[in-house]
Amino acid sequence: MLLLDYQNVLIESLLKDRFSGATPTSIDQVVSDFDGVTFHISTPETKTKLLISISVRCFNELVQYGAQQVLEREYGPYIVSPEQGYDFSVAVDLENLPAEEDARNDLIRRISLLKRNAMAAPFEQAFDEFAKLQEEASKYTSESAPQGVREGGVVRAIHYREEEAIYVKANYDRVTVIFSTIFREETDRIFGKVFLQEFVDARRRAIQNAPQVLFRNDPPLELEGVPGLAQSGSGEIGYITFVLFPRHISMQRREEVISHIQTFRDYFHYHIKASKAYIHSRMRRRTADFLQVLRRARPENEEKERKTATGRTFRVQG
Amino acid sequence: MATINYRTIDIDALDPDSAANFDLSSLAPDVVPVLTADVQTLAGQVRQLLRGGDTEGALRGALENVPYGADQQGKEVHLATVTEILQSIRQSDMSPMLQRIYQSEGGSELLDVLMKYLYKGMSSKQPSSSKNLSPQPTGFSQIQARGGGEGGGQAMSVLLSWHEKLVEIAGPGSIVRVMTDRRTV
Amino acid sequence: MSQSLRPYLQCVRSTLTAALSLSNFASQASERHNVPEIEAASSPELLLNPLTVSRNENEKVLVEPSVNSVRVSIRIKQADEIENILVHKFTRFLTQRAEAFFVLRRKPVKGYDISFLITNFHTEQMLKHKLVDFIIQFMEEVDKEISEMKLFLNARARFVAESFLTPFD
Repeated sequence: MLLLDYQNVLIESLLKDRFSGATPTSIDQVVSDFDGVTFHISTPETKTKLLISISVRCFNELVQYGAQQVLEREYGPYIVSPEQGYDFSVAVDLENLPAEEDARNDLIRRISLLKRNAMAAPFEQAFDEFAKLQEEASKYTSESAPQGVREGGVVRAIHYREEEAIYVKANYDRVTVIFSTIFREETDRIFGKVFLQEFVDARRRAIQNAPQVLFRNDPPLELEGVPGLAQSGSGEIGYITFVLFPRHISMQRREEVISHIQTFRDYFHYHIKASKAYIHSRMRRRTADFLQVLRRARPENEEKERKTATGRTFRVQG
Repeated sequence: MATINYRTIDIDALDPDSAANFDLSSLAPDVVPVLTADVQTLAGQVRQLLRGGDTEGALRGALENVPYGADQQGKEVHLATVTEILQSIRQSDMSPMLQRIYQSEGGSELLDVLMKYLYKGMSSKQPSSSKNLSPQPTGFSQIQARGGGEGGGQAMSVLLSWHEKLVEIAGPGSIVRVMTDRRTV
Repeated sequence: MSQSLRPYLQCVRSTLTAALSLSNFASQASERHNVPEIEAASSPELLLNPLTVSRNENEKVLVEPSVNSVRVSIRIKQADEIENILVHKFTRFLTQRAEAFFVLRRKPVKGYDISFLITNFHTEQMLKHKLVDFIIQFMEEVDKEISEMKLFLNARARFVAESFLTPFD
């Protein structure tokens, strides 16, 4: 269980089960996903009509960045008006499913990727901006490029979590994705540093084509002037920058890259916690070993039985 | 008299019989006060012997004239002298020399004194080595193995090897005598 | 590195063997009480000279003997932040189970990472050379364990980073 799945596995299995032709039953379930996202899958009117809704914390921000268009593109005919308390809904009629197996699986896949698609909008916009900038910049040499082209595009902020955010910025030769993540405890911070050091070194050592990773405790230069940046002097907030190069942003790799990079923060924290748990269990085992060694130091208490002349038996204490 | 709060009087300090008022110096035999200057002259003499190649004589000289009565500074000077002598003696010479000193008259006392200096040497801070042994607060060294400290640790390893040889010859009793002897170096 | 480890441990062993000659001694300050004198420190004549055995600035053992108890404090080598954290967590694990360990002190002496308090009752109940064995083994094992945990952490971090960055290729 190394990499996180892009899709929501619960939704996927539920839909597979329903689509496979089982007798329709009513469902009403709330499913949680990473980053505080909740799904609601239910059968409000009839047992054959499934309503799947998603609630994302920063949906308004995402709409700003064109989320609505992306979702329309993906789910077109299935979209219905959002359910009460949720941000977006799709409805599927079990009686009107597409005939071919492939089309049905595709539908399942797309619905379980609802979270990923909702969050994809800012990335897609940035990638498009990159393409535009790249084309413009190719008309000039790097020195004579006008100020606007050299600086790059606008910074898109997605506050997908309470105190953490993703910032995406396009330039003419790269796209920068910055994760701001918060570490409450000292130990988490240090574990995080060990992991991040490896991320930074991986490019140099093993995988030459990986995106460049940088890490700082204070906001990087690209984020200058962005509102809402929490100022923390204690170093609790870390900024991890991924620099995606043109080969990562090409049309055929685009989808994969967007899905993959969205999972970074959760992947990172998951592995920190997993290593902490392992270290703890190791220490516990070592402590038990020590205890055993110490017990060896105590000589065995031999129970000495004695008999008196009249035949009464008693044990000598200590 | 009425202004004194009787509850806060430290009765143990005022009680002449209490343990806190026990005069520790009565436990140890009287020491002769020694001037720092004398310690330094001795150091000079010992260094002469060292340069002359007479390491055993230097060691004996240093161990026989222990400045129990000197002040802090004088004791530091003498410690430096002894450490210097110890570092200049070769590994192979250590055991035979200790054996000779032990056999000679009053030898076990001399070895007890040597043991005292070994422990004192190990407890003192090493200013010269602190720069490469201080833990790095920011970065972390993944490649660096957890090896012993270089440089300053060398002096310690000399002391440790002397300690081993000394215990072989004089026995653990010398360690006990270091712990109980109130005349500290 | 390990060349000075053996004499260091040998030195600690002989120092401890010498220091662990303890006898029962009732408290002079309060009647019918029996306290470890090194902790109470009420009578200065009952305390003996403390001895330090050190391998370098970062690794030393302080042995403070008295008539009926000995306090042994160990400072474990910590080269960087991650080792700092690991040693800290490990000693916390141990000290929280101090009741089970009998000879462990719940708080280390200032300047050291972990402390043991051995009283005459312990030496009466347990075999003295085994007790010394335990402390020496403890020192060796802790060092080994910290190195292993650090290695594991680095290896895992490397693996995690590589598996995340490979799909980008």
